[in-house]
Amino acid sequence: MGNANSILTEGETRHLMRRAGFGAPPKEIAKLVKRGLTRGELVDKLLKFKAKPLKVGKKDGIDEVYDRWLELMLKTRTPLLEKLVLFWHDHFATANAKVQSTELMARQNALLRAMAKGNLRQFLKSINRDPAMLDFLDTLRNRPKTPNENYARELMELFTLGVVDEAGQPNYAQEDIVQIARAFTGWRLDDDGNPVFREDRHDYNADYPERGPKVIFTTYGGFGPGGVDFGAAGEGAAEIDRVIDALLSHRDSEGQSTVGRRMTRRLFEYFAWDAPSTALVDALLTMSGFSSTWDIGALVKTILTHDAFYETAAPLHAGGTKKSVKWPIDYVVGTLRLLKVVPKRRKYAGLALEDSDSLRGHLDDMGQRLFDPPSVFGWDWEAAWISSATLLARFRFMRDLAAARGKGKQGFHPEKLMSMDLQSPAQILDAASALLGLTDQLSPDERTALIDYLTDGGAVSALNLNDLDTRGRKLHGLFALLLQSPAHQLH
Amino acid sequence: MAISRRSFLKGSGLAAASSLVAPALLGNPFVRTAFADTIGDRYFLSIFLDGGNDGFNTVIPVNDGGATLRAAYDAARATGTDGINIGPAALAATLIGTDPGSGAQLALHPALTGLKQLYDLGKVAVIQGCGYPRPNLSHEESRVAFQAGTPPGLGTGTGWLGRYLAANYGGSDIPGVCLRSEVAGEFRQTATSVLAARRLRYLRFPYDGDYGDDVARKRDAFNALYQGAAAQALPIAEYLGTSGVATLLATESYAGLHDLYQADRAAFDGAYDALDQGLAYNLREAAKVIHGIVSGVPNVHARLMQCATGGYDTHSDQGSTTPDGHHWQLLAEVGDSLKLFYDDCADMGVADKIVVIVWSEFGRRVPQNDNGTDHGTQYPMFVLGGAVQGGVYGNHPNINESALSDDGNTSYSQGAADPFRSTDMRDVYGTILKHWLGMPHGTILSNVLTLDGGDPAERWTQENFDLGFLV
Repeated sequence: MGNANSILTEGETRHLMRRAGFGAPPKEIAKLVKRGLTRGELVDKLLKFKAKPLKVGKKDGIDEVYDRWLELMLKTRTPLLEKLVLFWHDHFATANAKVQSTELMARQNALLRAMAKGNLRQFLKSINRDPAMLDFLDTLRNRPKTPNENYARELMELFTLGVVDEAGQPNYAQEDIVQIARAFTGWRLDDDGNPVFREDRHDYNADYPERGPKVIFTTYGGFGPGGVDFGAAGEGAAEIDRVIDALLSHRDSEGQSTVGRRMTRRLFEYFAWDAPSTALVDALLTMSGFSSTWDIGALVKTILTHDAFYETAAPLHAGGTKKSVKWPIDYVVGTLRLLKVVPKRRKYAGLALEDSDSLRGHLDDMGQRLFDPPSVFGWDWEAAWISSATLLARFRFMRDLAAARGKGKQGFHPEKLMSMDLQSPAQILDAASALLGLTDQLSPDERTALIDYLTDGGAVSALNLNDLDTRGRKLHGLFALLLQSPAHQLH
Repeated sequence: MAISRRSFLKGSGLAAASSLVAPALLGNPFVRTAFADTIGDRYFLSIFLDGGNDGFNTVIPVNDGGATLRAAYDAARATGTDGINIGPAALAATLIGTDPGSGAQLALHPALTGLKQLYDLGKVAVIQGCGYPRPNLSHEESRVAFQAGTPPGLGTGTGWLGRYLAANYGGSDIPGVCLRSEVAGEFRQTATSVLAARRLRYLRFPYDGDYGDDVARKRDAFNALYQGAAAQALPIAEYLGTSGVATLLATESYAGLHDLYQADRAAFDGAYDALDQGLAYNLREAAKVIHGIVSGVPNVHARLMQCATGGYDTHSDQGSTTPDGHHWQLLAEVGDSLKLFYDDCADMGVADKIVVIVWSEFGRRVPQNDNGTDHGTQYPMFVLGGAVQGGVYGNHPNINESALSDDGNTSYSQGAADPFRSTDMRDVYGTILKHWLGMPHGTILSNVLTLDGGDPAERWTQENFDLGFLV
């Protein structure tokens, strides 16, 4: 049993750098291991970042902003920030397909950055007023006489409570959605795209007595039959803050913090593996104190220092029982960083490798377009990332990367990353797989298949990588296979 | 299908085979037997209208009949600026049958002229009031319910067609293809392989363009890696492995269907281009698969298909009776695309061999909001095809204000004498499984669709797999 004070092994270090970032090359791992850091010390280091907004040019469209975010992820020294911003972008999923404003999408991204490891209560209250969100979930179209329940519903279903709790019991009733939608009437954007509250557009009890008092959670939430009256302390702009306070005080059918449990589960599933037990969720929640402090950074640290987080590090062939499918963005950015391939910004195509589509195009085909999640539900994770279509997209990108034999930084140059004097197929495989952090993950059967490939089924016993034809054929071919392999899809 | 994917692949010696051109696996007689027992020479296509189609503006009461349907419709939906009301005059060209419950004359949305032509040929069943008990208004929850064929919260992560596939096909078969980038929920299961490709021509394996003489070696190694993953105990690794193997095999058979269709069916190919609608392009991909099967292309057997088209979440700016309206454009796309696809199938000689279901995750609220509609409950589905018995099935929901829930939605009912009785989605699915996909009645109940417990007036406690639109 380990904890935050356990000294990190090499495998754990590699795992932590991969899951809390985009992976680290063997030399950096070795350096970190040599320092003898504890889990807690390295996580503190990773969590030490100051968020700055993306640099956005005045003429940038959404594609350019997307490219800027990709470039930042490719070179950032604070990758955990990016991993968290990706999580929040999925959690508070907002699509430019509807918002149609680069500026508002960039402003939301800045908010996700600023709040990424901050206080959840403050975060939710800011999201309530985020201009892109006000548009995306129709708060701008929510009027007293013709209420629009979109935001009220998703606020509970997706952003906070979830439809049902850990025991499968409902967390709210349709009536709660109706009443919360009333709180969110009256919000508009001014000419600069800033949120303003218009009293004359707000749904007041006095104007609509037939709708009853602004009371929620009379059935669910552990508040008793009286529920929570979010209008009692004065109707107006502050109602939406009081709704957040009520949501964070919500207790599930087992008397536990509903939002605390759900956010712990979501973040754990994001950083570690799918479907943890309620007992594990509760243990993490208690250790972190999250349901009283709402300190996201503290919750992340608790997860990243817990034994359960390190379970996906174990190779499947050596008794590992947990794995998670890499998000497309992780698969692409992580690989480019590890292999030190730097895509170039091209006119029209955007950020691209030589002889290849833009990174955006590849990621689209893999099922992930930043700034345009498929719906307010964000992206489906794990098995949903995998289909014949998305697998082919993954294989295509890695084919293009491994085949980028041209000179320059956007080419793939294994000769700069490993020794070309190696001749033994097993040693060549070890060196190549080490660059991707995969050496320990490959099963004996997988090694056999890859060595068979290098040796043409045993026809040759040694390779001369200094021969450009052999290098281009077999070493680049080996990398294509490693990059396309099942082991490299999982982490 | 006692044989598992794993043992079959291992036993077939495929791992050692290096032939690129014709993997023997899919032509295996064992696989063909599976088809003979089930769908035979038929096809089935599921079309998902993503976002929640406004059923009350899709099939519209023109008059009251013996009830007050039109009056209730007019009370809930305004005319004039921002109104979404569609008046009787606008419906004159798209009249269909009468509502079985009330006798009210019904019409399709005026944009659905293509569908109306097929209706007049007797090829379209309009099935009103489709839903499930205790309807959920979440896009996700309700879509999953319709895909699973189980009310929310009761599903097991498999789809209603998935359970049919699992009962009839094995891991080495590829009985289905989703013409989108992911496997659709209604096909979900883990017993057999379903392809997913937005466009078939993308189903080409990406080998390095250089060193072509190394491709066979790459294929062997790739195949071995994914076979290894398919043999893992961890479900996600096994799923990744089986998907990778099926993908490799598919690239060796399906990608060529695009060129074949273009070469053989240039006129129809051009007609889809001319229509220039997203759904039409998706349906053209389905037509390419059908053409491949009809032409006897080896290893192409995916007779169950799915595609989707979005934009139906019409909370705002829904429009009414002008062709620039948002909902008008959506439905025109549906009607015109389906008509072209049907004609294409007829020209290929398979119009009587294909059944299409058109569904959405829910309908929309009876009263409009500002200028759109919020999430709703029951709605009409369409089932069409040459073998379909056209007409109106199922009752229009009760849209009288007094009958609506507090939030303005219609209620699910199974009351035997209720003139507004709902059509449970499972009766629609059961009718298709029994009368089109060849599944015995008892097997449907034991393997695919589970009856609810509870009040027979409010729950699906008695099945009817003989709704009549397929016999």
